[in-house]
Amino acid sequence: MPDHVYVTGMGIISAIGNSVEETFHSLYTGKTGIGKIKYLDTVHKNDFVAGEIKRSNEELIALAGIGDYNRTALCGYIAAREALYNAGIVDINEARTGLVTSTTVGGICHAENVYKDFFEGISNENFTDSYLSGVSANIMASHLGITEFVTTISTACSSAANAIMLGTRLIKNNMLDRVVVGGVDTLSKFTFNGFNTLMILDREWCKPFDENRKGLNLGEGAGFLVLESERLVRQKNKKILARIAGYGNANDAYHQTASSPDGVGALLAMEKALKIEELKPSQISYINAHGTGTANNDSSEGMAMQRLFGAEIPPFSSTKAFTGHTLAAAAAVEAVFSILAIQNSVIFPGLNRHEQMKDVSISPIDQLMINQPLEYVMSNSFGFGGNCSSLIFAKR
Amino acid sequence: MLGAAFITSYCTIKPWEVSIDGAVGYVDNGEFTTADFLKNIYKSYNVDYPKFHKMDNLCKLGLLNAELLIRNSEVTQKYKPEEIAIVLTNSASSLDVDQKYQATIQEKDNFFPSPAVFVYTLPNILIGEIAIKYKITGENAFFIAEQFDPHFMNSYISNLLNTNKARCCIAGWVEFYNNSFNSFLYAVEQQPGKLTLEHTTEILGQIF
Repeated sequence: MPDHVYVTGMGIISAIGNSVEETFHSLYTGKTGIGKIKYLDTVHKNDFVAGEIKRSNEELIALAGIGDYNRTALCGYIAAREALYNAGIVDINEARTGLVTSTTVGGICHAENVYKDFFEGISNENFTDSYLSGVSANIMASHLGITEFVTTISTACSSAANAIMLGTRLIKNNMLDRVVVGGVDTLSKFTFNGFNTLMILDREWCKPFDENRKGLNLGEGAGFLVLESERLVRQKNKKILARIAGYGNANDAYHQTASSPDGVGALLAMEKALKIEELKPSQISYINAHGTGTANNDSSEGMAMQRLFGAEIPPFSSTKAFTGHTLAAAAAVEAVFSILAIQNSVIFPGLNRHEQMKDVSISPIDQLMINQPLEYVMSNSFGFGGNCSSLIFAKR
Repeated sequence: MLGAAFITSYCTIKPWEVSIDGAVGYVDNGEFTTADFLKNIYKSYNVDYPKFHKMDNLCKLGLLNAELLIRNSEVTQKYKPEEIAIVLTNSASSLDVDQKYQATIQEKDNFFPSPAVFVYTLPNILIGEIAIKYKITGENAFFIAEQFDPHFMNSYISNLLNTNKARCCIAGWVEFYNNSFNSFLYAVEQQPGKLTLEHTTEILGQIF
C-alpha cells in the first residue's frame, strides 16, 4: 500500500491577494479582483477587464527579492516561497524534494516586449534566455534550493492539475518525499490577443453558469502546494492541511480545441479521480468547477456533472469571477481555494449569475455558505483540446 | 507475474506500397507525388472522412495507417474507448508542417498565416486526429526519438497493459519530413488476435 500524500503548505498570488490570508479574505467577503486593465500594456486596455495581480513588475521584483526576473518567474517564486514557509520547511534538503510547476506563458510576457528591438538591432538583450517555459522553473528551483527533480508541464488550462497529479505519483512511487507542485501564468499580449481572436472573452465581468454568459475574463496568478509523504509527515509530526484523495486526467476525443458538448472527457476525468480511493459520487461535499464562463465549457462541464451526480449533485461553484481564468495556474489557484474551503468549512459562491442555464437543470451556489463540514472537495480543470483533469482533496 | 501480450496486427505505409500483416496491399508504380500516393490510398481503401483533405501530411499518413490497422484488428469494436491507448513516435516531430507554417510568417510583405495550418504544428495532433476519428479516449503519448526503439516501445506499452492503464494499444512510428516518409503501426492486446506474434523487443525489431 503506497503512502498517503498530504498537503502541508500552500502559497498563492492572484488578483484577489498576494498571500493565502488576503485570498481567503477576498473570497469570504465576495470581493472580485477583476477590473480595468492597469499593468498590461495593451491596446485593448479600455475594451476588456482582467484579473491582474495588483503589483507592477518593479514591485514584484522588490517583493520577491531574488533579482530582475520576468513576471512569471517572480510570481511563481513568491507563491512557492509562501507554500514552503507555510509548511514550516527550513532545510529543503533534509528530504528528497522536487518542483513540478506548470505554465503556458513562460517568458512570453517579457519576450514580446523586447524581441522587436532585438531583431531591429536596437537592443542586444537575449530574450531567449528567459523565454522557454522551463526557465522560470529553473529560476524558482535555484532560489528555493531544489535540486533533486525539476520539471514543467504545459497542457493548457489543466496544466497545474496535472502538475499536482505528477507530484502525488512521484511520492506514491517513492521517487521523492516532498514535492512543491503548482502553476503560474501571467498576462501577456500574446495570450490576450489569442483569446480575443477566439472570440471567447467577455468584455464585462464573466458570468459562469449563467444562461447569458458571454465568455471568460483572463486572469493571472500563481499557486503552489507542498506535498509530503505520509512517512515524512509522521516523522516530523507535521500539521496537515489536506490529503490528495483522487486525481484523473482524460481526453474527450472530440475536437482539436473545443470540448465535447456532452462532456465525455470531463466525465471520464471525474470518474477516474473517484476511482483512486473507490469514492462514491455522494461522498463529494463540494465541487470547485472549472466554470470559465464560456458557452462551450459551462455547458459541457454542466452536462458531465449532471451525468455523474444526477439529482444528488453536491454544491458547486466557479471562482473564476473572482480571479479571472489564470490558465495554467487555474488548478493550483483553485486547489488553494478548495483547501481553504475545507479548512474553514465554507463554500465560496460564484458571482454575477442572473439566469439559470437552459441546457442543464443543475444550479451553482450563488451565496457564501458557512458551517459546511467538507470531507471531500473535487476541483475540475479542463484544457483546450479536451485535456481534462479532476482532483479530489480530503479533509483527513 | 506479468501478463502476456501479443501483436495482433501491423500495417505499414512506405514508398510506394501498403502492407497489412506483412502482405502487400495497395502499390503505386506510376510517377506520383507523395500527396498523390496518400490520396490514392485514401481512394483505393474507400476511406470516407472529408476532414482528411484538410490535414497536414503527417496526419494524413498516420490517419490512413490507423484506418487500415483498426479495420484489420477491429480493436475499436472489441474495446471501450477508454481501454485503448495510443503511443506513437518519430524523429522529425511535426517539422514538415512547422517549416511550411514558418514560411507563411517569414516576410512582412508575404504574410499569410492560417490557423488551419497552425493547428497541425505539434506531433501529438496526430494522436488527437486518430482519437477524434475513432473515438478513443485512453492514455496517449507521442515520443520523439532518433529512431524506432523497439525496447523502449515494448517496455512502455507492457507497463500500460500490466498496470491496467489500457487493455489494448495502438502504437508505432509515423514519420513525414520533406516528402520522405515511413509509417508502421501495430496493435498490442492481451490475447492473440489475427496474429499470434508475442509482444517482444525482438519481434518488434523484426517486423518494423
